[in-house]
This record gives sequence, structure tokens and C-alpha cells, in this order.
Amino acid sequence: MTEFSRRNFLRLLAASLGSLGSFYLAGCLDQSKLLSKSISADKIASTPFLADPTALEVSPGLEAGGSEVDLSTSTPSPTLSLPVLAVARGGEPEEMVRTAVRALGGMERFVKAGDVVVVKPNICVAYHTYEYAATTNPWVVGAVVKMALEAGAKKVKVLDFPFGGSAEQAYQISGIQEIVNQAGGKMVVMSGIKFIETSIPSGKNLKTARIYDDVLRADVLINVPIAKNHELARLTLGMKNLMGVIYNRPAMHASLGQRLADLSTRVRSHLVIVDAVRMLMAHGPTGGNLSDVRKADTIIASPNIVSADSYAATLFGIDPEELTYIKKGVEMGLGSGKISEMKIEEINLG
Amino acid sequence: MRLRKLSQLFFLGLFLALFLWTRREFYLNPAAGSGLKGKLVNLPLQLDPLVMTAQIFASRTLLPAAALALITIGFTLLLGRVWCGWFCPIGTVLDWVPVRSWKKIQPRIPEGFRSIKFILLLVILIAAALTNLSLLILDPLTIGYRTLTAAVWPALDKGITALELSLLKVPVLIPAVSTFDSLIRPAIFPPHPAVYRFGLLYFGFFAALVGLNALAPRFWCRYLCPLGGLLGGLGKFSLVHCEISESCTQCGNCLPSCPTGAIQKGERVFCDPGECTMCLTCAVDCPTGQVSFPARSTTFLQQPYDLDRRKALISLGTAAVGVGLLESGWLSSGHSPILIRPPGAENEVLLSTCIRCGECSTVCPTNAIQMSVLEGGPEGFWTPVVVPRIGYCDYSCRACGQVCPVDALPTLTLEEKRQQVIGKAEIDQDRCLPWAENTECIVCEEMCPIPDKAIELEIVDIQTATGEWKVIQRPKVIQQLCIGCGICENKCPAAGEAAIRIITHKHEGQSGGRKHRGTGNS
Repeated sequence: MTEFSRRNFLRLLAASLGSLGSFYLAGCLDQSKLLSKSISADKIASTPFLADPTALEVSPGLEAGGSEVDLSTSTPSPTLSLPVLAVARGGEPEEMVRTAVRALGGMERFVKAGDVVVVKPNICVAYHTYEYAATTNPWVVGAVVKMALEAGAKKVKVLDFPFGGSAEQAYQISGIQEIVNQAGGKMVVMSGIKFIETSIPSGKNLKTARIYDDVLRADVLINVPIAKNHELARLTLGMKNLMGVIYNRPAMHASLGQRLADLSTRVRSHLVIVDAVRMLMAHGPTGGNLSDVRKADTIIASPNIVSADSYAATLFGIDPEELTYIKKGVEMGLGSGKISEMKIEEINLG
Repeated sequence: MRLRKLSQLFFLGLFLALFLWTRREFYLNPAAGSGLKGKLVNLPLQLDPLVMTAQIFASRTLLPAAALALITIGFTLLLGRVWCGWFCPIGTVLDWVPVRSWKKIQPRIPEGFRSIKFILLLVILIAAALTNLSLLILDPLTIGYRTLTAAVWPALDKGITALELSLLKVPVLIPAVSTFDSLIRPAIFPPHPAVYRFGLLYFGFFAALVGLNALAPRFWCRYLCPLGGLLGGLGKFSLVHCEISESCTQCGNCLPSCPTGAIQKGERVFCDPGECTMCLTCAVDCPTGQVSFPARSTTFLQQPYDLDRRKALISLGTAAVGVGLLESGWLSSGHSPILIRPPGAENEVLLSTCIRCGECSTVCPTNAIQMSVLEGGPEGFWTPVVVPRIGYCDYSCRACGQVCPVDALPTLTLEEKRQQVIGKAEIDQDRCLPWAENTECIVCEEMCPIPDKAIELEIVDIQTATGEWKVIQRPKVIQQLCIGCGICENKCPAAGEAAIRIITHKHEGQSGGRKHRGTGNS
């Protein structure tokens, strides 16, 4: 080996500093992109939200960080005449999902050709089959996957992060894996390290959270909760279901309501489909007693998470405004909790 | 020669592959899995005659799978210690660790040290007859499994995770790291980095074993390995063995090249078949081709280091006194209130059936099963213990019972498993958020997997320090329903030690040090 001269040392130093610097610059570049995104997210939260929650859905992927969307070019759109919320009753799960989504203008309104879609059911434990109503009805999830693919989605990923038992097992026992595979979707096992520290610019209490990368990068997020009892939140519905995509869940439990509302501003559900085919009335969220399950054969669909949750609460005979997360969501302008003020289309199939 | 290397490589690979397969199989589906799957992965252990013999002695039951160990015994009677030279993964590792560079400091080890392995073997077998299996921690295969499970794999996992996490801090790299991660998880590593206590202890133990190579090649195999002792004893009578012909020129080439020092120089050069691992190095190294391996029975030659009456008596005495001391409890600190055994295992039965291989800990998908270091006392060293703060016993999992090679943990159906009480939860009202600080928290109730919930929430009106009235839900354990799965302790948001803990239910009132805090009327 040749002698390591001063000149060589300086060369090496310059090279390493140069590469470090470019890394740093690349990092800054990306940071500034993030910043611009969060500004536009802010704009949304303060602009036409309250007046017309349905107008919002025209910007899929904005919050999820996919495509750049210019708000001004979004057409005032025919969606104005569509209902905020559609309820289908009394049919087979898939039939009800299709009917409710059709009433909202069809899946094409939410999923564009080539989109990567993430479907987030509630698969919180690996303990019981779907009859126990602790996990979302598999045929409801299957219908959503099929419809997203029919609308031209490039890929449909289905994922959750169970707190009891392994994900693979929960996927199997809930029956969701089988139906999703048949429908052409992909069950994704969430990895503990892919939760990315993300700022929540509109958050009042929750300013940052570690959010799952696939969810952040998806073009469309379809939230498919099951209507369930929960002792602290009283009910677990769409907003509570989003806890499955963040890492530090125990920390959410202090001022849960506000934090769930904060999370909803960052992880936007472009479409919420509440599965009330079977409702878990007590001993939630884990369940295990068939006597706690009530068959309601109802599907609620809405692009607005607060509206969907509010309507679902009434199925339990609970005034939506009694649920803190709905109250906080309304306060933050995420939507309305008053059923009487919503334009609702109800369809009876049975 | 190349053939032997290939064989060693193949079996080391097989050992690793079975290990990985076991983990993955049970991680993916801890509730299902056929009996065969559970047992197939334990093939190496079932081939191990030391583990199987000791287990049969101690448990007083005959395991059908133990018949597989007869294959090894048959091979040894036919071909000598081929296990050690061609199969044993630990032997392979020891073979490949370079020691030659340290040869300068190589001291002369007295030949008498070879008898240690025979004495250890006898002590293990006699203790096993007295229902004690504590010393099986010295079996090479259990050492291999333990080291892989608790030290090597978690270290790899943690290293790669740390690398991924640091790369994730550079935003442009997120997609690349994310893609890489989905390739390795859950295929090779679990979705959440595995947690094993005392990784350094297991690593240190193995490192020491490898380090002894500095004193002599394959030090462990020559002097200490009790399985080597068993196979060596059998190998003395093997049909095929190393023979050095009468016309040997006594050049001494083979003496240092023999990895176990089986070739010795007495009046003439000879090979002790009890020490020979059939590696064939001597046959290659002999310049005049005097070494052959004929299939011919010879007379048994007693060497000074072989077992004799004196050594047998020493072993008997050691085993009897050792087991007596352990049984008397004089060495242990009494029953620990946190000695929680996996579902279906009774402490006393477990101690006389568990072979300390750590397979249950390998497959436990939540890392609830750890190997006991302090909880179980010296007799229970490295037996399985559930540590709920690290992992909870999953309500849908029965992996440990399925994988256990010797049924020390029973194979349970899912219904049976869900009925197994492994401990009872107790709330520490001085630390529980709703009790001590009037803060809202229901995590333990939320997590409880029992259909009727073994934790109930009592709604109380309380006045806070500032004088306001507040409605708060306070958790209480319903003792009759609790099965001690520990998910409440695991997820309890209290910092450090949980405010709800699982205590062994069998020893209530007996435990010495720890004062039990009540769950109700305080």
C-alpha cells in the first residue's frame, strides 16, 4: 500500500463531506416538500369543510401524501347533489355495501384508475370468528376490495395492527384473509418499524404521531370499522378504527376524544363504511359472547367520518354528541354530528 | 475430507433452517399447526441420545419419538463418533473457529481432563434417575437452540432494525427501506423485534465454550461434552474404527493433526476409538498410508481417563448430593411469586420433564416465554417462565405445547388452553392511574380477552384535589374469571413496573418476600 499522504487525506475528507452534504440537502428537500403538503392540509381544514363536507372527497391522496392537488381546479362537481351519507339495510353484506356506495355516486367517485388503495378494517384481535362481531365482517371487506378493483385501483392493500395475537392469525381467524384473497386484494402484515414520525399540523392535542408508511403513501384510504362497544370511547367506530395505523396507542388513551379527532385530520378516510351487519353491544372491543351480538344488517357509507360515526352511534341509541370524539370532531370542523342536518339516503333491501 | 465438510455444512444448515422454519411456522399460525409440524422441527433433539435417555429416566415415561435416538446409537456402534465429526452443529462451529494463531500460548492439558465428560454424563444420568434434569443445560444441542433463540437471532434482528430505523431518518430512503423491510418481515424476522432477557448471558456461555478452543482444538468435545462422553463410551465398541498398522514409522505427523487428540503415543502410536470423531484427517496426513478404517471388532482398551469404579462412585456421590441439595431448597430462595409457567405446565412436573432446550421460547410469538434465570431457582435454570411485562400469553396461541419435543408442556386444544389458569392478576391501587391519580384509563379492561371480561369497571364519583367532582371508571379484577394471560400487565400504561401484575395463584399466602396487595377492599 502506498503512503497515506496529506493530499490523499484531504481528498478523502472532501469526498466524504461532499456525500454527507448531498444526503443532508436531499433530506432538506424532502422536508420542504412535506412542509408544503402540511400547509395545504391546513388550508383544507379551514376552508369549505363545514359548509359542504362532500366537496372534500375530490382530493384523494392529498393528505396521504400521494399526488399534488390544486384545490382551485377542483370542480364544484355534481357531488353536491349527492347525499352525505347512505344507509343500506336488510340485504346480504356485499349487496348492502354496493347499494350504499352507489347511492354516494359509486366507487369511481373515490377510487381513480391506477390508485393504490388501503382498506382498514377492524381486526383488533385474533380470538374469534366474525360471528362474534369483534372484527369487521369479511364479506363487507371483500365487497370493498372488489369495488375498488372494479373502479380501476392498481393495488388494494388490507391491513390492521391487532393488539391481541399476531396479525397473520387475526387475518385468518376473522375470515377476512380468505375473502380478501378471493376478491383480489392483498393482506399486508404491518411491520413494527415502518411507522413514520409524522406531524399533525391541525392537531390540537396530538401534534405528531408515528403513522404507518403504507397508509401515508396510499392514494385512497377506505375505513371499514365494525360498530362495537368500548368502555372508554363508549363505541368504537371509524375514528377509533384509525388507531390501528399508529404506533403508540396507549398514549392515545389520555384525552382520547381530542386525539382521535386530531388523528382524523392527518389520516383522512376518503370513504368510511361502517359495518353494522352484526353489532357488538357489550364486552368490547374483544367480544367472545354471541349473546352480546345484535344482528342489525345495516351498512353505513359516507365520505365524512364524523357523519358516519354519528349515524352509527344512533344505532346503539346513543346521541352522537355524547361521544367525545364526535364532539371534538365537530368542534374542529371535520363534519356534523346532527343527523337531522345531514342529507341521508336510506335504502331498504329486505 | 471435503465430504465431511459438506456434511457438516449441510447439517448446520439444516439445524438453522429448522430453527427458522419453526419460528416462522408458529409465528404465522400459533393456534393451528399439526402435531407433525410441531414435532418435525425437533428432529435434531430427538436424535440426541443423551437428552432422550435422561428425559426417559426423569419423566418415567417412554416417548415414542425417543426411538429416533436409537438411530444415533446404531450409527455410533457401527461407525464410532460420527455424530461429533459429521453432524453436531456445535462441533462444526468449534471445528471452524481458527485456533492455530493462538497456538503459541497453547498449554498442555492433562489427559485426565478427558474423564470430565464421562463424569458429567454419569452425573446427568444418575440425577435424571432421581428426576432432576437441571444439568441438561450442558447438552450441546440445547446450548445451540438457546444461543440461537436468545442471543444470535435477536442480535441480528436488533442490528438490522437499528440500521433500518436510522436510514428511515433520511426521507428519500423511506421507500427503499420500506420495501426491504417487507422482504425480511415476517419472512425471517418477526414484525416486532423479539425481546429476550439476558442475551449476553447466553452469548457469553457460548463464547466461553468457543473460547476454550484457544487451549486445545475442540476443547469442549474432547474434555467436557456429556453427549460426547455418551457417544465416546459407545464408540469404544464401534465396528469401524481407526487402526494404525504395525508398520507405522512413528513419524508423529498424525498426532497434532487429530482435532480431538484421539491418536496418542504409548509404546507405539494408537487411536482411542472412544475419542475419535471419524474425521479421517489422519488418513490424509499419513505420509506412508498406515492409517486405515477397517470394519473389524477389536478388544476394548481401557484408558486411564475412561470411567472406572472410582469415577463412577464420584459421579454417584456428586449427583446424589447435588439433587439432595436442590430438593432441600437450601440453595433456592423459595418460591417466587412471579414464577409463572406456560399454560398447562405444573411446576414440579415441568422440572422433571423439561430438557431446557428453549424451543417454547423460540416459538412464543409474543416473547412471553423467557428462560428462567432467577425466578425458578438453580434447579429450574433455563426452564420456561412467562414474563407478562415482556409479552402476554396470547388467548389464541398454543404454540409452546405443540413444539415441546418432550411434552413437558402439554399439547392443548384451543378450548383447553383458554381455560388454563397460569396466574391471577392483581391491581396495585397505589400506582393504577384511575385509583391513584383519578386519571381515565381502562386499558386492562379493554385488552382482557375473556368473553365476560375478568376486569370490571366500577363507576365512582370522586372529588379531585382541586375540589371538582368527576365520574371515573376504576378497574377491579374478577378473580374467578382471570386466567392470568397477562395482557393487562403487558399493556398497562404505568411507567416501569405495571400497576396490574400477574402473580402465581398456587402459592398465594406462601410467598415470602412480597406482600400481596389486595384487589378490592383496601
